[in-house]
Amino acid sequence: MEFIYYFGEVFTPISFMLLVGGTIGGLILGATPGLSPTMAVALLIPFTFRLEPAHGLILLGAAYTSTVAGGAVSAILLKIPGAPANIATTLDGHTMATQGRGAEALQLSFLSSAAGGVFGVLLLIFLTPMLAKWALAFGPSHLFWLAILGVTVIGTLDTNSVVKGLLSGCMGMWLATIGFDDIMGAQRFIVHPSLAGGISIVPALIGLFAIPQVLAMFARGRQPVGSDVIAVQKHPIGKAMREMTRRWRALGIGTAIGSIIGLIPGIGGQIAGLVAYDQAKKFSSERQNFGKGHSEGVIAAESANNAMVGPSLVPLLTLSVPGSPTAAVLLGGLLIHGIFPGSDLFDNHPDVAWTFINSMLIGQVLMCIFGLYVAGLAARVAQVPQYVMAAVVLGLAVFGSYSVQNSMGDVYVMAALGIGMFFLERFGFTAAPLVLGLILGPIAEANFTQGSMIADATDGRFSYFFGGTLNIVLILIVIASVAYLAWMEVLQRRQDRADQANEAKA
Amino acid sequence: MTKILKGLATALLLAAAPAAAQDYPDRPVMMMVSYGAGGATDFQARIVTMTAGNEDALGQPIAIINKPGAGGRVGWNWLATQAEADGYTLGAYNIPHFIAQSIEGGVEYSVDSFEPIANWGADPAVFIVGADSPFNSMQDVVNWAKENPGKLTFSGAGLFVGHHIAALQLEAAADVKLAYIPNNSGGAGAMKAVIAGEVMGGVNNLSDAYRAANAGSVKILGVFDTERSSFLPDVPTLQEAGYDIDNASVNYRGIMVPKGTPQEIIDKLAAVMPAMFGNPSVIKQMEAGGSPIKIMTRDEVIEMWAARQKTLEKLLAGL
Amino acid sequence: MRQWQHIIPSGAIAALGLWVCYVSFTQKPTQAFLFPRLISSVFVILALWTFGRALLGLSRAGTGIGRTMFLNILPGLLVAAVYIFWAAEALGFYSGSALAFFTLLSLYDPASHGEVKSWVRRIVITAGFILVMYLLFAKLLSVFTPRGLFF
Repeated sequence: MEFIYYFGEVFTPISFMLLVGGTIGGLILGATPGLSPTMAVALLIPFTFRLEPAHGLILLGAAYTSTVAGGAVSAILLKIPGAPANIATTLDGHTMATQGRGAEALQLSFLSSAAGGVFGVLLLIFLTPMLAKWALAFGPSHLFWLAILGVTVIGTLDTNSVVKGLLSGCMGMWLATIGFDDIMGAQRFIVHPSLAGGISIVPALIGLFAIPQVLAMFARGRQPVGSDVIAVQKHPIGKAMREMTRRWRALGIGTAIGSIIGLIPGIGGQIAGLVAYDQAKKFSSERQNFGKGHSEGVIAAESANNAMVGPSLVPLLTLSVPGSPTAAVLLGGLLIHGIFPGSDLFDNHPDVAWTFINSMLIGQVLMCIFGLYVAGLAARVAQVPQYVMAAVVLGLAVFGSYSVQNSMGDVYVMAALGIGMFFLERFGFTAAPLVLGLILGPIAEANFTQGSMIADATDGRFSYFFGGTLNIVLILIVIASVAYLAWMEVLQRRQDRADQANEAKA
Repeated sequence: MTKILKGLATALLLAAAPAAAQDYPDRPVMMMVSYGAGGATDFQARIVTMTAGNEDALGQPIAIINKPGAGGRVGWNWLATQAEADGYTLGAYNIPHFIAQSIEGGVEYSVDSFEPIANWGADPAVFIVGADSPFNSMQDVVNWAKENPGKLTFSGAGLFVGHHIAALQLEAAADVKLAYIPNNSGGAGAMKAVIAGEVMGGVNNLSDAYRAANAGSVKILGVFDTERSSFLPDVPTLQEAGYDIDNASVNYRGIMVPKGTPQEIIDKLAAVMPAMFGNPSVIKQMEAGGSPIKIMTRDEVIEMWAARQKTLEKLLAGL
Repeated sequence: MRQWQHIIPSGAIAALGLWVCYVSFTQKPTQAFLFPRLISSVFVILALWTFGRALLGLSRAGTGIGRTMFLNILPGLLVAAVYIFWAAEALGFYSGSALAFFTLLSLYDPASHGEVKSWVRRIVITAGFILVMYLLFAKLLSVFTPRGLFF
């Protein structure tokens, strides 16, 4: 309950101003394509040089929470996921926006972000010591199985065909191996100099999601004025709140999965949204509506990726081990003020530690308020004529992917992947499984290599990868997930055959 | 009238003269860091360049660009082959990393691809074990390894980086066989492996290990340097512990430019940078973060690079 | 539906899979290609399976590409390709973007090409967009973009 004593600190004029500024700035940065939360926080670090430690951290904490939520704005309105965390949001969120339900999608995303986010920060406040152990329980073998589990999600993300979904996933994993391999430093599949740095995830995301979108808008050609204007529906906030409480199952699944997966160093933040989306879909009674603008998809994805914010800082704050790239940047923000995370932080600088955590709690609420305030207005983006939209998204995609590393190579990769994806999409392939492969490939590979090296030096590969309770539990979940996949495929086949028979009769 | 004309003429002449040297820099400068945002190199690079915009320094800010991947190879390859040598693109170097990688091969750079400007820091490698480990000295570690050859697992930030060099030196000096486990997510990942007990020990940066030891999660057993660190006055060097290991693995960090950058610009940067690193506010924040400072001029760095090239060639020849 | 069209993408993917597989099993060092071998084996099996189904005319998912659709996309795709692979770097990031943006508007804007008013509108929209990009990326985020011939 110690944290309550420090709430006053958050509401002093300077702190609160920074909090509001950080939140609004974070929302804008988060909505900018190409700017992941990590980059946004890194950009803000220099501003904190001149501030008091607690004030600097308020700014960083507020920016971290709101950039994660801000990523949903471009995901919903432009179909450009700001970071891997927002991939799942595009699936239903953007569909809703094209149906004129952008305001509803944005409101739901901010509300569920706040709900998930507050829960995550409360976990950070009350359960940190316990969670720290859990975060460290995942060694290379467990992370390997977790990545494999992620791969099995691919099958259900793709609504058309399990085989094509898995094939896209394989292509994604292969794309991830391009460039220098991380451990040996050997060159792999570098057929063009712009691939030497490997395929970075943010430019790939932008290309795979935004470019097919642009080309699809071109495909409509020069349409007469007025034919493609979408009527943007007004959506009262109260209705969004009722919708969210009605979809408590998706909210619960998203929050729980985000909190649990967010804890695991190195993997959590990137896939929390996708795994939550997949699970919400499996447990939903309206499974068939996912991907067609279903509110549960947005709720699950967004509650998960904000729930992960709090727990993802547990390893950093307790053990001084940054569990995610953003946490690593936050570590820098602490260090420049001479504050070492770990027992030092909570024992000698409790004011800094708790003010920081409290600011994330308040930040979640502020983010939600500002978000809801602009949702109705922002949804009007859908009314921008298609031909302007196509050019704007193309421009944003180029600027966004360039700015990640100041690299033209990234822009080429973005465009090549995007154009390829457009044509593949016409033939039943989808981007989401490919991206999941791209994210999970390196995790699976690195942990497999490291695990084998440790296993070779100690008790052998078999007992290393298949022994221990946690390994066995994870393997069982993988098997269950594959079985579910096979079962769905069988059902689908049966359905197809029935449809064909009906067609033949008619 | 003639005065005005004369003034105009000189102005024109000045404008027409190659804008390189005296006007440099007339726009912000960027500095490539070949490790991700939040890593030790990135963090220190951001601190030491924060006063670049001051009038007594460059007068223009330095922006950090991260090009991480494959232990730094991606970034340095880019700097050697694709970056423009116009003085507006600087790079951060890590010694012995890039020299060791160039000796190992498979990259497009060597010491001759870059021109050093100045050095800002030197971070020795240390040997760490988990807080609850039975090992309490380097002697304990080596004795265990002698009884169980090839079974002592210990983590480090990658292959052909400072930690790996330290590991090779330890194997050679103590005449044991160890199992070095390179981590794909750098020093932070290697540290996590030690704290979580995935490996029995690890080589890590002094600055990170000092912090982790303060947090009570690791014990530091030895420093891979020729003298003790002021941060850790009680921890012996490997030499004191009885192993003949010099400072070849110490991670020197500084600024360099690609070969072909105009000499006047190199001179100007080399004159300005050491003073910029010595700025009291820089020193204060480096010390607050537990980052050891070591300011060296261009000439000293050239010498240090050449010396490292020799030692590393010898050390890696046996691989 | 245009069943034959499915043969092209699935054939291309199968060829890619075979190449990846070949490279993974022939390149050194073996240790670095261990994971690519694993991936490419699964990749090739799935790709050949998909290709086989396409050959047999069993692929049904997706809408394929129609003639009008293709003709509609082509000019935009060309402008985008010239912009990304050439103009952005050669002309400069901002001038290249402005040119591409304006050309795309002119190509796809349904308003008449004969009126002065519609041209003014296109120029204003382009200028506004480039200004926002400049303020956001160059000023706020201090991103260095290629300067090229102009800027």
